[in-house]
Amino acid sequence: MTEKFVRAISASEVTSGGMKAIELDGNEIVICNCGGKYYAIQRRCGHMNAPLEKGTLDGTYLTCPMHCVQFDVTNGEALSGPVPPDFGQEIPSPMFGEYLQNIGMLMKDVRTESIRTYATKLESGWVLIAL
Amino acid sequence: MNIQSRKKALRYFFEKVVGPLGFKFTPDADLVEFLLEQEVILEGKHGIPFCPCQLLRHDRTRDMQIVCPCIPFHRKHFDIIKRCWCGLFVHKDVLDPSKLPQLSPKEVGLD
Amino acid sequence: MKKIIVYTLSTCPWCRKTKKFFAEHNIPFTYIDYDLADEATQKKISNELDAAGATGFPFVKIGEEVISGYQPERYSSALGI
Repeated sequence: MTEKFVRAISASEVTSGGMKAIELDGNEIVICNCGGKYYAIQRRCGHMNAPLEKGTLDGTYLTCPMHCVQFDVTNGEALSGPVPPDFGQEIPSPMFGEYLQNIGMLMKDVRTESIRTYATKLESGWVLIAL
Repeated sequence: MNIQSRKKALRYFFEKVVGPLGFKFTPDADLVEFLLEQEVILEGKHGIPFCPCQLLRHDRTRDMQIVCPCIPFHRKHFDIIKRCWCGLFVHKDVLDPSKLPQLSPKEVGLD
Repeated sequence: MKKIIVYTLSTCPWCRKTKKFFAEHNIPFTYIDYDLADEATQKKISNELDAAGATGFPFVKIGEEVISGYQPERYSSALGI
């Protein structure tokens, strides 16, 4: 069965090294321009659902802004886990200490999953995506 | 998570940092593979790729100084011995890393 | 025979070379892998490294002499071999 490609956005809307979040048929997708090659990934981080277009793209590596999980946008693979909020035994401030400790405790059971990717192609200045 | 994929990504990021500092990956390819693998394991355990050969104190301020690449925090020391402590990185002009002894800061006249 | 104690890390290749050096020369030694030790032992080792001005492993004690880093010539010299 051949994939059905649909027009997503104009290629010029995403500059090299940049990302843009779009919604296509109920799918939240981020388009990444890696030096002229376009990749499409699910928008939500495979850790705690943060919006990935607010992260950073370096080459084909995307870092989530929330807990720094890194993904390979070419295949959606999660490359590293979150950076723990309770780094070391630093004594947290009395005001937020208990709150942070509770968050840290809950986060221990959160799994980091790889993310979905979508096939893309360029056609007449448009980025097409197979849903 | 896949160790080989993570090693590849770490290589990419580290190269960009150490180059401008005058360092490169050691020509000892086996050592690079081993050390990067240890860093991926440490990252899996602690969330951060620490140096596989330095003291982890569980004290944030001091532990930040051994996050790889830790060259900026030990610039004087590493520039004298032409390598970083674990030997993952060496000065760009080094061809034979086996000739670089692992000398402590005290031994090279630093505190 | 001088007493030899080595502090090492299970993740460090130079520490492995150090252990191998003593083993190959048939020199008895004890070692502690810092990263696998309990908190109290880690604190003790950490304090010793601080006192010696060292931040890295291996940390080798041959009698009273302290050698930081993999330095086989210095080990030989300290042992008189």
